Amino acid sequence: MELFKILGIGLITCIAGLIVRQVKPDVASIIMIAGGVVILLMVVDYVAQIFDVFKVVMDKTGLSSSLFSIVLKIVGVGYLTEFAANICADTGSNSLAEKILFAGKIIILFMSLPIVTNIVEIVVGLL
Amino acid sequence: MGVDVIFKIAAVGILTAVVGQVLKHSGKEEISTLTTLAGLIIALLMVLNLITTLFDTVKGLFNF
Repeated sequence: MELFKILGIGLITCIAGLIVRQVKPDVASIIMIAGGVVILLMVVDYVAQIFDVFKVVMDKTGLSSSLFSIVLKIVGVGYLTEFAANICADTGSNSLAEKILFAGKIIILFMSLPIVTNIVEIVVGLL
Repeated sequence: MGVDVIFKIAAVGILTAVVGQVLKHSGKEEISTLTTLAGLIIALLMVLNLITTLFDTVKGLFNF
């Protein structure tokens, strides 16, 4: 199971970061980032399989696949924005992290506009 | 892909610190600052490499 490998890598990164922090504090935060990236890379394959299952279910419902790709993109934007915001928070610049989160929310809102217009059209069609 | 990258970056960090100290005590101040900077840049490049792979995988996965 990948879980133990992920936990191991997380612990090793913390310990390596601790050791290097006494000697060189800036490289320590770099190690934290590297550990985070490695763990995310290991989980990405699971996300791929999850999305394949969703695609099959989505095709059955007959909805247009563009909606699903928008949802996919929004999840991706959330995934990366949260990753970048946490890195900034780790290295101490919390205000930058908040700004990145805010920008990510705006981008997600912008991406979800077509869905909203779609819903409005459907509702208007019903009335 | 995984633990070895973390150990490599940690090794680079520790080595730069040691080399910097040795150079500082042997009287060559400016070279030691340069080596510390070089070590930091090497570590940064390694992490940059990792981050580009992450971004490419995510781009392919979420079909941006």
